[in-house]
Amino acid sequence: MGKLRAAFYSLTGCQGEYLTILGMEDILLDLLSLVDIAEFKLASSKEYDGKVDIAFVEGSVSTERDLEYIKRIRGNSKILVALGDCAVWGGIQASTSGQDPKELMRSVYKTEKNLYGFLGEHKGISEVVPVDYEIQGCPIEGKEFARVLIDLVRDVKPELPDYPVCIECKVREIPCLIVERGLPCLGPITVAGCDARCPSYNTACIGCRGPIRDEANVAGELEMLLRKGYDRERILDLMSLFGARYKGLRSLIEGGKS
Amino acid sequence: MREIVVEHLARVEGHGDIEVVVEGDAVKRAVLRIYEGPRFFERILIGKSYYEVPDITARICSICPDPYQVASSRAIEKAMGIRVDRQVEALRELQLISDVIHSHALHLFFLALPDFLGYKDAIGMAAQYPETVKLALKVKRAGNAIKEVITGRTVHGVVTKPGGYTKVPRAEDLERLRKQLESSIDGAREAIRVFSSLKMPEYSLDDNLYIAVDPGEHYGYSGEYLLVSDGTRHPVEKYMDLTNEVTVEHSSAKHSSYKGSSFMTGALARLLLNEKRLYGEAKESYESLRDKIDPRNPFSNNMAQAIELLYSVQRAMDIIDGLLDEGIKDKLMVEVKPRAGEGIAVVEAPRGLLYHHYKLDDNGKVVFANLVTPTAQNAANMDKYLRIAVRNLKDLSDDELKLKLEMLVRAYDPCISCSVHLTRIGV
Repeated sequence: MGKLRAAFYSLTGCQGEYLTILGMEDILLDLLSLVDIAEFKLASSKEYDGKVDIAFVEGSVSTERDLEYIKRIRGNSKILVALGDCAVWGGIQASTSGQDPKELMRSVYKTEKNLYGFLGEHKGISEVVPVDYEIQGCPIEGKEFARVLIDLVRDVKPELPDYPVCIECKVREIPCLIVERGLPCLGPITVAGCDARCPSYNTACIGCRGPIRDEANVAGELEMLLRKGYDRERILDLMSLFGARYKGLRSLIEGGKS
Repeated sequence: MREIVVEHLARVEGHGDIEVVVEGDAVKRAVLRIYEGPRFFERILIGKSYYEVPDITARICSICPDPYQVASSRAIEKAMGIRVDRQVEALRELQLISDVIHSHALHLFFLALPDFLGYKDAIGMAAQYPETVKLALKVKRAGNAIKEVITGRTVHGVVTKPGGYTKVPRAEDLERLRKQLESSIDGAREAIRVFSSLKMPEYSLDDNLYIAVDPGEHYGYSGEYLLVSDGTRHPVEKYMDLTNEVTVEHSSAKHSSYKGSSFMTGALARLLLNEKRLYGEAKESYESLRDKIDPRNPFSNNMAQAIELLYSVQRAMDIIDGLLDEGIKDKLMVEVKPRAGEGIAVVEAPRGLLYHHYKLDDNGKVVFANLVTPTAQNAANMDKYLRIAVRNLKDLSDDELKLKLEMLVRAYDPCISCSVHLTRIGV
C-alpha cells in the first residue's frame, strides 16, 4: 500500500500549530515521512489541487476566502482534522463573538466598511463543514499531533481526551490552584491533554485548549469563582478568551444580559 | 499590459500575494498585498486585566510569541512603575534570544535556502544535504529548548507575566541547556558557511535607511533608545515619529515611514548599527565577511541573520554562565499592585522592532493599546525593492520573475500574521 497523501492548510490564525509541528526537530523528518505531503505552504513551495487522504487545517473561518477555501478542502479530503483552538473554537479572535461587526471594524480600522471579506464573526471549522477529528490547544501539543498522525496512517481511530485538565493535576499531584490559592483557574472546564502545563508552572489554566466539548460545566465554574470573590465580568472574560463559541458559555453571557 | 500575481507566498508565515503590473517599459505596480483575516487584537485587549496581556498578545504570532510577551510585560511594568529583578532581566534577554535562534534557523535553512539550492522545501533538500539539515535542526532545537526551560512551551509560553516569571528554572535545567547550546553551535557556523558561499542576487539595490534598538554595552535585542542610520538616536517614547503608520489601499498591514522615507528593520539593521557591540567568534566572523554584506542589498539580511545566529548561541551560553555563577533565586516575581498609568516598550523581534504601548486604569485594566510590528514597518521598504527588482527583471518569463520576487520578499523574512490589525485606537 502506498503512503497516504496529506496536506496542511491554514485559515485565519497565527500558524502556531505548524510552528509546534516544525518545533519537533528530533522526530520531524521521520514524522513527515510517514505521509506524502501534497501541500504545506509554510514549509514548502509545492502546490497541489487534487484529492488528499488527510487534510490538516489550522485557523478560524473568518473571511469569505476562509469559507470558500474550507468548503473546497472538505470536498477534496477523505479525513479532515481541525488543528488547534482557532480551527476548533474560532480561537482567541472569537472572543469578540456577539459584538457588532461594524463596531469591531470601526474600533480597529476606523471604518464601518467590511474590509478583507470579514464574515462578521470567527467560527470553528465544525460550524461550517463536518470535521472528523479535533485536536485542541493554543497551540496544539506536538505529541498529540504525532499520535493522531500515526494512528491515521495505521488506520486506527485516534483517541482524544474528553476530560478536564483537573484530572492531569491530580495525576501529577499538583495542589489545586483554586482551592489552595484561590486563583481563577479554568482547569475544571478545559479539555486535558497538556499534562496540566500551566498549573505545573505555578499559574492558573487560561483555558487555551478550549472547553470540554458538550461537557464543560461553565455555570458551575462561574458559581465557584464568584464565591472566591471574582467579579462576574472578569470570569466570563477569562472563559471567553478561548471558549467564546461554546454554547453553554454563550447562553450564560446572554442570560446575564437580559 | 502585463499582470503577474504570485498567489499566496509560500515559505513565509501568514497569507500574502505579490502583485505586479507592467505597461510597456513602465512598472505600474509592484506590491506585497497582505490579506490576512482581521483578528481585532486591539479590541480584544481593551478591558482585559494587565495580567492576561502577555498571554493574549503572544497569540498574535507563533514564530515570535516571546518578543510579544517580553514587550507587553515591560510596557505594563513601566505603566505601573514596577522594577523587576536583575535575574528577570537576564531571563528575558534569554527569552528574546531563544526566538532569534529558532526563528533565524527556521528562516535561513528552511524558508530561504531551498530557493538558492533549487528545491521547493528542506525535505527535498535533506537527501542531497543531510549534514546541513541535521545541523540546522539541531541549532533550531536549541532555540526551542531555551523556550521550554524558561517559558514552559515552544509556542506561546506560559510563565511570562508583568512582574516576572511564575516559575524559576532549576540550575540543573540551565546546565543541561548550556550543554545543548554548546553542541548546537556548529549549526550556526554552518549557516555562516553556507550563506557566505552563495552568490547573493543583485537585482534590487538602492540606498537603504535602517532603524534598530540601542542595546547598550553588548549586542542584544532590547533597550530604551532607537538608532537610525542617519546618525540620530531617539528615546522609545518618541516611537510615533519613527513609525508614522498610515493605511494603504493594497494591504491590511499599515505602512511606516521615517521622515518620508521607507526603512528597514531586522537583522541587517541591527548588525549595521550595532556591529561594534558584537564580541567573540561572531565578531570575528563579521570582520571576515564584512565585504559580503552590502547595505544596499536586502539579501544581505540573510548573512546578518547567520551572524546573529552564531552570536545568539554564544550570548545565551554567557547569560546562563552568569546566572549559574550567581545562583538562581527561588522567586522571581515582584508583587504587583495595579494602578493607572501609561507605558511604552520596544524589543527586537527576529524580524525587527516591536513597540508596545498601553494605558491602564486604576484596576490595571487596559484602556488603550497600540502595537507596531516589524513586518508592518518593513512593508513599504519591501514594496520599494520589489519595484526596483521588476524594473531590472521585467524581460524574464513570468515564472522566473515570480521566483525572484518571492525570494526578495523572503529575504525580509516577513511574518504576515504579526503585520496586520494592529493600530492605534483611543477609548
